[in-house]
Amino acid sequence: MNKVGIVGVGTTSFKARWLEKTYYELAYDAAKLALEDAGIDKKEVGGVVYGIYNEFFERQFMPDVYIHNYIGMGLKPSVRVATGGATGGAAVFVGWTWIASGLYDIVMVLGVEKATDNYNYTVGHSTPETLKAILFSGDMTFENPMGLTAAASYALPLIAHINKYGTPTEKQMAMVSVKNHKNAMNNPIAQSPKLLTVDDVLNSKMITYPFKFYDNCLYSEGASAIILASEKVAKALSDNPAWITGVGLSLDKAFAGERDDITIFTSSLYAGRDAYKMSGIKNPRKELDFAELHDAFTGAEILSYEAFNFCKPGDGGKLIEDGVVEMTGDLPVSPSGGLIGCGHAVGATGVMQTGEAALQVQGRAEKRQVKNARVGLVQSIGGPATAWTAAMIVERQDKIKGKGVKGARVKAKVKSARRKR
Amino acid sequence: MIQDKAQWLEEASKKIKVPKELIEKAFKDELDGNPSLDAPLEIPDIMDITYKYTYGGISRFFREIRDNKQLYGTKCTQCGKVWLPPRINCNECYTPTQWVKLGGTAEIATYTIVYYGTSVFFGKTPYVCAFVKVAGADTLIMQNVFMEDVKKARVGMKLTIQFKEHRNGDMGDFWFVPAQEEL
Ligand SMILES: [Zn+2]
Repeated sequence: MNKVGIVGVGTTSFKARWLEKTYYELAYDAAKLALEDAGIDKKEVGGVVYGIYNEFFERQFMPDVYIHNYIGMGLKPSVRVATGGATGGAAVFVGWTWIASGLYDIVMVLGVEKATDNYNYTVGHSTPETLKAILFSGDMTFENPMGLTAAASYALPLIAHINKYGTPTEKQMAMVSVKNHKNAMNNPIAQSPKLLTVDDVLNSKMITYPFKFYDNCLYSEGASAIILASEKVAKALSDNPAWITGVGLSLDKAFAGERDDITIFTSSLYAGRDAYKMSGIKNPRKELDFAELHDAFTGAEILSYEAFNFCKPGDGGKLIEDGVVEMTGDLPVSPSGGLIGCGHAVGATGVMQTGEAALQVQGRAEKRQVKNARVGLVQSIGGPATAWTAAMIVERQDKIKGKGVKGARVKAKVKSARRKR
Repeated sequence: MIQDKAQWLEEASKKIKVPKELIEKAFKDELDGNPSLDAPLEIPDIMDITYKYTYGGISRFFREIRDNKQLYGTKCTQCGKVWLPPRINCNECYTPTQWVKLGGTAEIATYTIVYYGTSVFFGKTPYVCAFVKVAGADTLIMQNVFMEDVKKARVGMKLTIQFKEHRNGDMGDFWFVPAQEEL
């Protein structure tokens, strides 16, 4: 397999509502930012992988075909990925395979989501319709009629975990909320930067037991794009590219009642194992410098510490209590603010997180920079009861030796393409 | 500006099946204000589709519930695993299953309490959504557990099945309640 670099990153603001932009206008903004960041023209892109979750959010089936047209990629290869909340991460996974296979030299991964054009006229708010749109992802015969919400989908394994291990406690979960809202204050694109106390979280309104209001991420609208490149192109374009050195993708039984163990995030365990193995990580707690995890709900972040082997099952809550996962700790989790602080623009989220990881290892993460960040983990969860996980290891590889004849030729080619613009 | 507001409301209401008053409230700025030509313009819209959906091979499951108030699972003819929700083949052995009658006793395997649901569940919150282990089944099925005080729900709670009086042939035809011994 060929090495895969990240050479461009572009993300729009994540907001509660982008009233002034449609989904393809948002997609265009992210595409433009990422191309500019990579310093390439759209003509140089070999193909585009789109991450867009929900047809009812966009008010459009096959929204990717209209984006492909709108951003001027007509006739180039394109495919859309839709894997629930894991859509963005899985889109990165697919884009990675396009480069790793040697099929293309430059691939754009573009995630976008609207969510709050949905509107419930009875309460004068989007949320009940947005929830309804998501609920069509639960099995229509056996789960949708039971009122399974996105939050319930996470709460079911979480309560089973709490019943078995006694953790995470509501206080430990609240501490994750405080951390991620606080981290978001360093992120200019974040939707929910806030200084909260543990009591603010504990006293907020119950939404889905045991999640209170501040334990939940919010619906966001936004778009995020990254430019992936083969080794020779990545080295030609950048002195310091980020590399995706490991990927993993797992889909657990969607009828979660069939699973052997419903107390843990098994798809994260499997995706994590594959990604670690590919990048040669044996002790993630020591070898990872940071992680961007899928904190759709606070408890999910804690169960993810365990699934990714930062600690033993049941011990995840201690990592937040001991400050390990704080910006000041030795394994900061979600410096971007994560889904809770930065926002969850579903199809864009996993792309945004991967872009964030690239900025971290390149030392470009500004106020949210983790010191000496060299290796990071990205997690993207989706589907009923956290069925899906995409995991990526993003890292920096210092001192890339001699570009060689081949590399030099690519550089010349890229330069000439740039001149033609 | 919208020329004939009454006409616009009439057509909008018909299109999205929402009372005129609620649409008027939601579009107050567009109807009564004086937005500039470049201000974002929102429209009332709806996506809907009707079905005559077939349950295919598991049709009997819903007929037994609807017509006989009887819960059935399916048993793999090779490994003997009892599936609930039922399926007409086993995904482990790739062999057919056969119908088996199940009793009405069960237990909560895991659960949550939904305080904020979708618009379909207005007026029904809070409710318990659980994975339930029905006696005789080897898998868990998602169902609602109705009880006066939802905070009493817990893993391991013993349950009894209850059927709806007028049944339609869907999962809403039955639910669980705490068993006598839990009261
Ligand atoms: Zn079998």
